[in-house]
Amino acid sequence: MQFKDQMDFIKQHMKRNKLRVATTILAAMMGCAFLIILASVGFGMQKTVTDQVLDNQIVTEIEVAGREDGESITDKEVEAMNQLAHVKAVTDRTSPNAEAVAKIGDRSGFAATSTVDMEQEQKAGLKLAEGKIPASADEVIVGYHFAQNLLTEEEQKKADEGEEVSGGFAGSLIGQTFQLELTPYEGEKEAATWEFTVSGIKEEPGKDWITDNTLLIDDSWAPVFQEELALEESGRQVLVYADDLQNVSTITQTLKDDGYYVYSVTEELGSMNMFFTALKAGLIVVGTVAVLIASIGIFNTMTMAVTERTREIGVMKAIGAKPKLIQKLFLMESAAIGIIGTVLAILVSYGVSMLANWIVPKIIMTSLGEDGEGMGDVNILISVIPWQLVLISAVISIGVAMVSGWRPARKATQIDVIQALRQEL
Amino acid sequence: MIEIQDLRHTFAIGKKEHERKVPVLKGVTLDVQKGEIVAILGKSGSGKSTLLHILAGFMTPESGSVLVNKKETAKMKEEEKADFRLANFGFIFQNFQLMPGLTAFENVELPLKIKGETVKKRQAKVRGLLEKVGLQEVADHYPNELSGGQQQRVSIARALVTDPPILLADEPTGSLDSETEQDILMLIQSLNQSLGLTFVIITHDDEVANVAHRQYRLHDGELVKGEKRHAI
Ligand SMILES: Nc1ncnc2c1ncn2[C@@H]1O[C@H](COP(=O)(O)OP(=O)(O)O)[C@@H](O)[C@H]1O
Ligand SMILES: [Mg+2]
Repeated sequence: MQFKDQMDFIKQHMKRNKLRVATTILAAMMGCAFLIILASVGFGMQKTVTDQVLDNQIVTEIEVAGREDGESITDKEVEAMNQLAHVKAVTDRTSPNAEAVAKIGDRSGFAATSTVDMEQEQKAGLKLAEGKIPASADEVIVGYHFAQNLLTEEEQKKADEGEEVSGGFAGSLIGQTFQLELTPYEGEKEAATWEFTVSGIKEEPGKDWITDNTLLIDDSWAPVFQEELALEESGRQVLVYADDLQNVSTITQTLKDDGYYVYSVTEELGSMNMFFTALKAGLIVVGTVAVLIASIGIFNTMTMAVTERTREIGVMKAIGAKPKLIQKLFLMESAAIGIIGTVLAILVSYGVSMLANWIVPKIIMTSLGEDGEGMGDVNILISVIPWQLVLISAVISIGVAMVSGWRPARKATQIDVIQALRQEL
Repeated sequence: MIEIQDLRHTFAIGKKEHERKVPVLKGVTLDVQKGEIVAILGKSGSGKSTLLHILAGFMTPESGSVLVNKKETAKMKEEEKADFRLANFGFIFQNFQLMPGLTAFENVELPLKIKGETVKKRQAKVRGLLEKVGLQEVADHYPNELSGGQQQRVSIARALVTDPPILLADEPTGSLDSETEQDILMLIQSLNQSLGLTFVIITHDDEVANVAHRQYRLHDGELVKGEKRHAI
């Protein structure tokens, strides 16, 4: 039998018992929708918590502290890290082994200087409060507190005595040119000075106790500093950024296997993810119970269908339909009930999910009243339905439908032709 | 075409403790040639249907063999039997056994669908056959909208649609009035003559036996060659 004819066949049969089939589909739909919505709460909670943590941005950061064999990390190795799956960027910061002081007019201040790959920094999520990413090697990015840190000698004295100094460089640093004086900590070389122009200012650090007086210089300067100042080995900080929190553990493991000392904040989040995985699995199991209850309906409907059509099945077999075909037709019918139920359930679930995400936070906010203000920027998601959940639910729901149609379909194949033909019309 | 050798079958009747063995076929032997109409007569309960059911492969006999085109259906698996029936037999039943949810056209089309024929081939074949049995006018009618005679014509068209060489009929006129019975018998006769189809017809009705080239009587589990009565 051709597939189209098989489809026509089950369509015709389902139409003959519209009400019974429709109520069975309704039950299948409710079971599957219950499963999706219930589990979506687990996904929603995880997303809410994860987003909260991710907001601090550094959770996708994996620090590569060095090699287990004591060798230093080479540029090639950094490049290889960047090629790993799910790696968004690898920043490679080198701090010259020298005291760095920035001078502009009569003001000066310590600059936490690093030579960096601007492109990678940008990919890693470097955000500017002002200005833009440097277009040329003479342009640099400075930390949010860089200007505030540039003090006159007088102010510096006061600060050293423990007095509160406010101000620093007034006005915007963007476009300003300053001198950077590097004095090697070791060796015989004298201090040397270069000029740079500020192109961008980093955004304010997330925590208000952090003072950011970073100075990021294009890494084409690294060999220049190295040579001019005859620097000893410089400090190097390699940070690998994952594209998503959930990939951090894989990348961390890969790097460990490759023989690096690795540290990622998310290693600590492992237990949190485990908790959510267990929660989601638990919710799916509970939701599956609803699907199983609906499957009783499918079993009944199909059993009745087989009983009702005993004579017709007998005729089909008599005129040459193989038992396999009969079985297939009935399995297709129960699968059709499962598929239609599932599709409807997915639509309903998305609707309910959207409604819940809209209404429930409002209720929470209202009940918290004034106290809720602090929660203002927290984005609460009650229910999230990722495609994986849709897939899992569809597989469970359609699978269960087919399993419950299995016995009736078997029964249909075992119908005795002679008995069936003898049935009254 | 059909060779039946020493066919025996016994039914067990009643509950286990009081089981009673009823021998229905006690060594039936019969040869049917290509293009023949063979009628098997017998009283109700004499085992005619049982013989046909064994021949069709719906059941397996206790002993004896049935060869159809030199093939023994009893030894086939269910799936093979289905294919064998589709290729070799057309069935005509007393109760017509049409699908109530399908029109006359769709009922005739069904075996071709099972066979997996394309829509195009099916349409032409079914239309031609409905014309041959004189039902082109009622092709879109459902079985409950047709008379007994018309329903049996649909059933005959369905039996013919896959071009099987053998037609097995169990009381084909058993549910029809005598006038309609004559129509159907004429149709069978003309199909036999024009297409050279082989018929095995089972009946308790002497009228039916009149169209047969040979007739047998099943009596007490044995097949006795019957006298051909003179046509009216
Ligand atoms: N499945 C069965 N189990 C027990 N007895 C049966 C069965 N089928 C038929 N019989 C018996 O076998 C005999 C022959 O039946 P059948 O072949 O239908 O006769 P006919 O078609 O000639 O009227 C009858 O006595 C009937 O009761
Ligand atoms: Mg009978």
